[in-house]
Amino acid sequence: MQHLRNSITKHVRLSCSTGLSEFGATGRLLNSPCQRFCVSSSDTSMEDLTARVLELVKKFDKMDASKVTEKADFQKDLSLDSLDRVELVMAIEQEFSVEIPDQKADKLSCCADVVKYISEAQAEKKEST
Amino acid sequence: MSAAGAAAAYLGRRAAQKERVRLLYRRALKDTLNWTVNRHHFYKHASDLREKFEANKHAEDLDTIDRLIQVGEANYEKLRHPDPYIVPWAPGGSKFCRNPPPPAGIEIVYNYGIEEDLN
Repeated sequence: MQHLRNSITKHVRLSCSTGLSEFGATGRLLNSPCQRFCVSSSDTSMEDLTARVLELVKKFDKMDASKVTEKADFQKDLSLDSLDRVELVMAIEQEFSVEIPDQKADKLSCCADVVKYISEAQAEKKEST
Repeated sequence: MSAAGAAAAYLGRRAAQKERVRLLYRRALKDTLNWTVNRHHFYKHASDLREKFEANKHAEDLDTIDRLIQVGEANYEKLRHPDPYIVPWAPGGSKFCRNPPPPAGIEIVYNYGIEEDLN
Protein backbone atom coordinates (compact mmCIF):
# COMPACT_ATOMS: atom_id res chain seq x y z
CA MET A 1 0.00 0.00 0.00
CA GLN A 2 2.73 2.38 1.06
CA HIS A 3 4.71 1.49 -2.00
CA LEU A 4 1.73 2.18 -4.24
CA ARG A 5 1.16 5.54 -2.60
CA ASN A 6 4.80 6.49 -2.95
CA SER A 7 4.87 5.62 -6.60
CA ILE A 8 1.70 7.61 -7.26
CA THR A 9 2.85 10.69 -5.39
CA LYS A 10 6.20 10.50 -7.08
CA HIS A 11 4.51 10.34 -10.45
CA VAL A 12 2.20 13.25 -9.61
CA ARG A 13 5.07 15.37 -8.40
CA LEU A 14 7.09 14.64 -11.48
CA SER A 15 4.34 15.48 -13.91
CA CYS A 16 3.49 18.64 -12.02
CA SER A 17 7.05 19.92 -12.05
CA THR A 18 7.55 19.24 -15.74
CA GLY A 19 4.34 21.13 -16.49
CA LEU A 20 5.60 24.13 -14.57
CA SER A 21 8.94 24.20 -16.31
CA GLU A 22 7.27 24.04 -19.71
CA PHE A 23 5.07 26.93 -18.76
CA GLY A 24 8.09 28.93 -17.71
CA ALA A 25 9.87 28.17 -20.97
CA THR A 26 6.98 29.49 -23.02
CA GLY A 27 6.97 32.80 -21.18
CA ARG A 28 6.71 35.61 -23.64
CA LEU A 29 9.39 37.96 -22.47
CA LEU A 30 12.29 38.45 -20.13
CA ASN A 31 13.10 34.77 -20.10
CA SER A 32 16.83 35.28 -20.21
CA PRO A 33 17.74 36.92 -16.90
CA CYS A 34 16.20 34.36 -14.58
CA GLN A 35 18.79 31.75 -15.44
CA ARG A 36 21.62 33.75 -14.01
CA PHE A 37 19.62 35.79 -11.58
CA CYS A 38 21.60 34.70 -8.56
CA VAL A 39 25.06 35.07 -10.05
CA SER A 40 26.83 37.64 -7.94
CA SER A 41 28.19 40.40 -10.09
CA SER A 42 30.84 42.05 -7.96
CA ASP A 43 34.14 41.13 -9.58
CA THR A 44 33.53 41.59 -13.27
CA SER A 45 35.86 43.38 -15.56
CA MET A 46 34.74 45.59 -18.39
CA GLU A 47 35.04 42.85 -21.05
CA ASP A 48 33.05 40.34 -19.02
CA LEU A 49 30.39 42.95 -18.45
CA THR A 50 30.18 43.78 -22.14
CA ALA A 51 29.92 40.11 -23.04
CA ARG A 52 27.16 39.58 -20.52
CA VAL A 53 25.19 42.59 -21.71
CA LEU A 54 25.51 41.54 -25.34
CA GLU A 55 24.42 38.01 -24.53
CA LEU A 56 21.42 39.30 -22.62
CA VAL A 57 20.39 41.68 -25.38
CA LYS A 58 20.73 38.93 -27.97
CA LYS A 59 18.42 36.68 -25.99
CA PHE A 60 15.67 39.29 -25.85
CA ASP A 61 12.94 37.76 -27.99
CA LYS A 62 12.01 40.67 -30.22
CA MET A 63 15.63 41.21 -31.13
CA ASP A 64 17.39 40.29 -34.34
CA ALA A 65 20.42 38.68 -32.71
CA SER A 66 22.68 39.09 -35.74
CA LYS A 67 22.32 42.88 -35.68
CA VAL A 68 23.29 43.31 -32.05
CA THR A 69 26.61 45.06 -31.60
CA GLU A 70 28.06 47.26 -28.92
CA LYS A 71 27.14 50.51 -30.63
CA ALA A 72 23.84 49.53 -32.27
CA ASP A 73 21.06 51.87 -31.18
CA PHE A 74 18.10 50.01 -29.67
CA GLN A 75 15.50 52.21 -31.28
CA LYS A 76 17.00 52.99 -34.68
CA ASP A 77 19.18 50.01 -35.57
CA LEU A 78 17.40 47.24 -33.71
CA SER A 79 13.87 48.56 -34.35
CA LEU A 80 12.52 48.23 -30.83
CA ASP A 81 9.66 50.49 -29.82
CA SER A 82 9.66 52.45 -26.58
CA LEU A 83 7.83 49.79 -24.58
CA ASP A 84 10.27 47.11 -25.74
CA ARG A 85 13.06 49.29 -24.51
CA VAL A 86 11.39 49.51 -21.12
CA GLU A 87 11.22 45.72 -20.99
CA LEU A 88 14.85 45.40 -22.00
CA VAL A 89 15.99 47.85 -19.34
CA MET A 90 14.04 45.90 -16.77
CA ALA A 91 15.69 42.67 -17.87
CA ILE A 92 19.07 44.35 -17.47
CA GLU A 93 18.12 45.63 -14.02
CA GLN A 94 17.29 42.12 -12.93
CA GLU A 95 20.33 40.47 -14.45
CA PHE A 96 22.73 42.81 -12.70
CA SER A 97 20.48 43.60 -9.70
CA VAL A 98 20.84 47.33 -10.02
CA GLU A 99 18.17 49.95 -9.71
CA ILE A 100 18.15 52.28 -12.70
CA PRO A 101 16.25 55.54 -12.10
CA ASP A 102 13.55 56.45 -14.62
CA GLN A 103 15.40 59.39 -16.14
CA LYS A 104 18.62 57.40 -16.59
CA ALA A 105 16.71 54.49 -18.11
CA ASP A 106 15.51 56.70 -20.95
CA LYS A 107 19.06 57.64 -21.86
CA LEU A 108 20.36 54.09 -22.24
CA SER A 109 20.25 53.77 -26.01
CA CYS A 110 22.95 51.21 -26.84
CA CYS A 111 24.86 48.38 -25.19
CA ALA A 112 27.90 50.57 -24.51
CA ASP A 113 25.73 52.96 -22.48
CA VAL A 114 24.40 50.07 -20.45
CA VAL A 115 27.89 48.71 -19.74
CA LYS A 116 29.04 52.17 -18.67
CA TYR A 117 26.11 52.66 -16.35
CA ILE A 118 26.43 49.24 -14.73
CA SER A 119 30.16 49.54 -14.14
CA GLU A 120 29.60 52.90 -12.47
CA ALA A 121 26.84 51.47 -10.31
CA GLN A 122 29.02 48.55 -9.26
CA ALA A 123 31.94 50.81 -8.40
CA GLU A 124 29.59 52.82 -6.22
CA LYS A 125 28.34 49.70 -4.54
CA LYS A 126 31.84 48.49 -3.81
CA GLU A 127 32.71 51.82 -2.27
CA SER A 128 29.74 51.80 0.04
CA THR A 129 30.10 48.24 1.30
CA MET B 1 3.42 81.60 -38.05
CA SER B 2 0.42 80.49 -36.02
CA ALA B 3 0.38 77.22 -37.90
CA ALA B 4 4.01 76.62 -36.93
CA GLY B 5 3.17 77.49 -33.35
CA ALA B 6 0.29 75.08 -33.34
CA ALA B 7 2.49 72.35 -34.82
CA ALA B 8 5.14 72.97 -32.15
CA ALA B 9 2.49 72.84 -29.42
CA TYR B 10 1.15 69.61 -30.88
CA LEU B 11 4.60 68.02 -31.00
CA GLY B 12 5.38 69.18 -27.48
CA ARG B 13 2.20 67.71 -26.11
CA ARG B 14 2.79 64.50 -28.01
CA ALA B 15 6.32 64.15 -26.60
CA ALA B 16 5.00 64.71 -23.08
CA GLN B 17 2.40 62.02 -23.62
CA LYS B 18 4.99 59.55 -24.89
CA GLU B 19 7.10 60.19 -21.82
CA ARG B 20 4.12 59.63 -19.54
CA VAL B 21 3.19 56.38 -21.24
CA ARG B 22 6.75 55.10 -20.99
CA LEU B 23 6.93 55.93 -17.30
CA LEU B 24 3.56 54.37 -16.66
CA TYR B 25 4.54 51.19 -18.45
CA ARG B 26 7.81 50.96 -16.58
CA ARG B 27 6.18 51.41 -13.20
CA ALA B 28 3.34 49.07 -13.97
CA LEU B 29 5.73 46.38 -15.18
CA LYS B 30 7.78 46.66 -12.01
CA ASP B 31 4.64 46.52 -9.96
CA THR B 32 3.60 43.37 -11.78
CA LEU B 33 6.84 41.79 -10.64
CA ASN B 34 6.04 42.85 -7.07
CA TRP B 35 2.64 41.22 -7.14
CA THR B 36 3.69 37.92 -8.69
CA VAL B 37 5.16 35.24 -6.51
CA ASN B 38 6.83 33.24 -9.23
CA ARG B 39 8.54 34.00 -12.45
CA HIS B 40 6.16 31.97 -14.59
CA HIS B 41 3.20 33.91 -13.24
CA PHE B 42 4.95 37.12 -14.13
CA TYR B 43 5.24 36.26 -17.84
CA LYS B 44 1.52 35.98 -18.26
CA HIS B 45 0.74 39.14 -16.30
CA ALA B 46 3.41 41.08 -18.18
CA SER B 47 2.07 40.05 -21.55
CA ASP B 48 -1.46 40.98 -20.44
CA LEU B 49 -0.17 44.38 -19.43
CA ARG B 50 1.54 44.80 -22.76
CA GLU B 51 -1.69 43.91 -24.55
CA LYS B 52 -3.56 46.56 -22.60
CA PHE B 53 -1.05 49.14 -23.82
CA GLU B 54 -1.06 47.83 -27.38
CA ALA B 55 -4.86 48.02 -27.55
CA ASN B 56 -4.67 51.82 -27.60
CA LYS B 57 -1.58 52.03 -29.75
CA HIS B 58 -3.33 53.75 -32.65
CA ALA B 59 -5.25 56.39 -30.69
CA GLU B 60 -4.87 59.68 -32.55
CA ASP B 61 -6.85 62.36 -30.75
CA LEU B 62 -4.77 64.20 -28.15
CA ASP B 63 -7.58 64.58 -25.63
CA THR B 64 -8.51 60.92 -25.93
CA ILE B 65 -4.90 59.95 -25.31
CA ASP B 66 -4.76 62.20 -22.27
CA ARG B 67 -7.88 60.62 -20.89
CA LEU B 68 -6.55 57.10 -21.53
CA ILE B 69 -3.30 57.93 -19.75
CA GLN B 70 -5.24 59.35 -16.82
CA VAL B 71 -7.32 56.19 -16.56
CA GLY B 72 -4.15 54.09 -16.71
CA GLU B 73 -2.42 56.12 -14.02
CA ALA B 74 -5.45 55.98 -11.74
CA ASN B 75 -5.56 52.22 -12.22
CA TYR B 76 -1.88 51.91 -11.42
CA GLU B 77 -2.26 54.01 -8.26
CA LYS B 78 -5.18 51.92 -7.14
CA LEU B 79 -3.39 48.58 -7.59
CA ARG B 80 0.03 49.57 -6.34
CA HIS B 81 1.86 47.10 -4.13
CA PRO B 82 2.13 48.27 -0.50
CA ASP B 83 5.55 46.71 0.03
CA PRO B 84 7.47 46.66 -3.25
CA TYR B 85 10.76 44.88 -3.82
CA ILE B 86 13.74 47.19 -3.69
CA VAL B 87 17.24 46.16 -4.74
CA PRO B 88 19.17 45.87 -1.43
CA TRP B 89 21.78 48.47 -2.29
CA ALA B 90 19.36 51.03 -3.70
CA PRO B 91 17.88 53.79 -1.54
CA GLY B 92 15.22 52.23 0.66
CA GLY B 93 16.75 48.75 0.34
CA SER B 94 17.78 46.66 3.30
CA LYS B 95 21.52 47.11 2.67
CA PHE B 96 21.39 50.79 1.80
CA CYS B 97 24.02 52.73 3.83
CA ARG B 98 24.82 49.65 5.93
CA ASN B 99 28.40 49.01 6.95
CA PRO B 100 29.87 52.23 5.63
CA PRO B 101 33.65 52.46 5.13
CA PRO B 102 35.60 53.81 8.14
CA PRO B 103 36.50 57.50 8.03
CA ALA B 104 39.80 58.49 6.41
CA GLY B 105 42.80 58.53 8.73
CA ILE B 106 41.74 55.53 10.77
CA GLU B 107 43.67 52.35 10.07
CA ILE B 108 44.14 48.95 11.61
CA VAL B 109 47.57 48.14 13.03
CA TYR B 110 48.24 44.45 12.72
CA ASN B 111 51.44 43.99 14.76
CA TYR B 112 49.59 43.99 18.08
CA GLY B 113 51.92 46.43 19.77
CA ILE B 114 55.19 44.63 19.06
CA GLU B 115 57.75 47.25 18.28
CA GLU B 116 59.73 46.80 15.09
CA ASP B 117 63.10 48.18 16.23
CA LEU B 118 63.27 46.14 19.45
CA ASN B 119 65.98 43.66 18.42
